[in-house]
Amino acid sequence: MDCKMETDMSKNGMVSYLMLVTVTCYGLVCKSGLAFADGASEPGLPQLDVSTWPSQIFWLVVIFGVGYLMMAKIITPKIGNVLEDRRIRLDNDLGKAREATAEAAKIRAEYEADLEAARNDAAAFARRATAEAAKTAASVEQKASKKLASRIATAEKKLAATKAEAMENLNIVAAEAALDAVKELTGLKATKIQAEKTVKAAAAAMFPQEIN
Amino acid sequence: MASQGMHSPVEQFEITPLIELSFGGYDISFTNSSLFMLLSIVVSGVFLIMAMRRGELVPGRMQGAAEMMYEFVADMVRSNVGSEGRAYFPFIFTLFVFLLFGNMLGLIPYSYTFTSQIVVTFFMAAFVFVGVTIIALFKHGMHFFSFFVPAGAPKVLIPFLIVIEVISYFVRPVSLSVRLFANMLAGHTMLKVFAGLAVMISGAGGLAIAGSLLPFLALIGLTGLEVLVAALQAYVFTILTCMYLNDALHLH
Repeated sequence: MDCKMETDMSKNGMVSYLMLVTVTCYGLVCKSGLAFADGASEPGLPQLDVSTWPSQIFWLVVIFGVGYLMMAKIITPKIGNVLEDRRIRLDNDLGKAREATAEAAKIRAEYEADLEAARNDAAAFARRATAEAAKTAASVEQKASKKLASRIATAEKKLAATKAEAMENLNIVAAEAALDAVKELTGLKATKIQAEKTVKAAAAAMFPQEIN
Repeated sequence: MASQGMHSPVEQFEITPLIELSFGGYDISFTNSSLFMLLSIVVSGVFLIMAMRRGELVPGRMQGAAEMMYEFVADMVRSNVGSEGRAYFPFIFTLFVFLLFGNMLGLIPYSYTFTSQIVVTFFMAAFVFVGVTIIALFKHGMHFFSFFVPAGAPKVLIPFLIVIEVISYFVRPVSLSVRLFANMLAGHTMLKVFAGLAVMISGAGGLAIAGSLLPFLALIGLTGLEVLVAALQAYVFTILTCMYLNDALHLH
C-alpha cells in the first residue's frame, strides 16, 4: 500500500506522514506475525503461515505504490481529459444547436408575421374591391332600370293609343254594319250619328273596361 | 482425500517463493502472490493505456469499457464522498482496479488469488482505516471524537453508545478485510472441492464417469457465481472505503 492519500492541506507533509504510518503498520504486523509464528508450528491454512507475511506486505506496498503512481499520473488524468474534452465538445455543440434553434424560431416568427400582414392586406383589398364592384353594379342597375321603366311607360302609352284607335275604327265599322242591317231588315233609315252612338253605348255595356 | 492422492482444497493458497530475497532479517521473497499482484497492476495498466491510447471522441469498445470503469468509480466517489473526495479519486480507482483484476485473474485455472490472503486484505483495510482516521484528525482535530457520540441520543445511554461506537469503529478494518478474504477463500475452496469431486468420481471409471457430470455442472454454475463475487467484493471493498472516507471528511 502506498501513502498517496492527499488532502488540500500540506500535500508533502501529509504524504511523508502517511509513509511513516505505513512503515509503522508494516513493522507492527510483521513483528506480531513472527511472534505468533513462534507459538503455532503448523497452521491448517496457508494464509495463517505468518512467515510469508513480510514478503506479501512488502510486495503489496511496492506493487500497489507503483500501480497508484501509474493510475494517478498517467491513466486517470488521461481518461479524465478525454471525458472532459467530450463534455466540452458536447456542451459547445449543444449550445450551437440551441442558438440555431433560437434563430430558426426567430426567422419563423418573422415569416409568420409577414404572412399574416400579407393575408390582412389581401383581405382588405378584397373587401374594398367587393364594395366598389357592388357600388358600380348598383348604379348601373339603377340606370338600366330607369331607362327600362321609361321605355315601358312609352310602349304602354303607344299601346293604349293604338288600342283606342283600333276600338274607334271598330266602332265605325260596327256602326256602318248596324246601319246596313237596320236598312235591310226594317227598311228604316237611321243616321250615321245615331248608329255610332248606339254602338258605343253597346260596346261600353259589353266591355266597360276597354273604353277608357 | 490426501490418502487417495488428491490435493487438499486449501493447497491452492500456499505461498511459493519464485525469487528468494531477504532484507533486514525478513523474508521478502517474490512469490506467486506477489506475481499476481504485479499481474493485476500490469494487466489493468496495459488494458487502460491501450484502451485510452487514441482517446477518441466517440469511444470504441475498449475505450468504452475503460471509460465505464472510470465513470463507475468516479460516480461512487461523487455520490458517497462528494466533491472533497476528488483528491482521493486516484487512490480509490487504483484500489478498485487492483482488487477487481486480482479477483478476476484469480479465477483463471492455475493462477493465484492474492485477495484470498488475510494478510493482504487486512493490510489494505488497515491502511484505509489508519488513513481515514488521520484525515479525520487533521481535518477536525479534537472535534473528531464527537463522531463517537450519536446525535440526539438520551443522556443516560450515551456512555454505552460511545462504547458501542468505538468498538464498531475499530472493527471496521477487521470486517472490511475478513469480508473479502473469506469470500475468496470460501469460493476458491468450493471450486476446488467440486473439481476434485468430479475428477475423483470419474477416476472410478465406467458408469461413474456419467456420475461425475453432476459436480462438473455444479462447478460451471459456481464459476459463474464466483465471477459475480469477484466483481462484487471489489465493489464492496471500494464503496466501504468511500463511506469511511466520507465519515472522516464530514463526520456525521
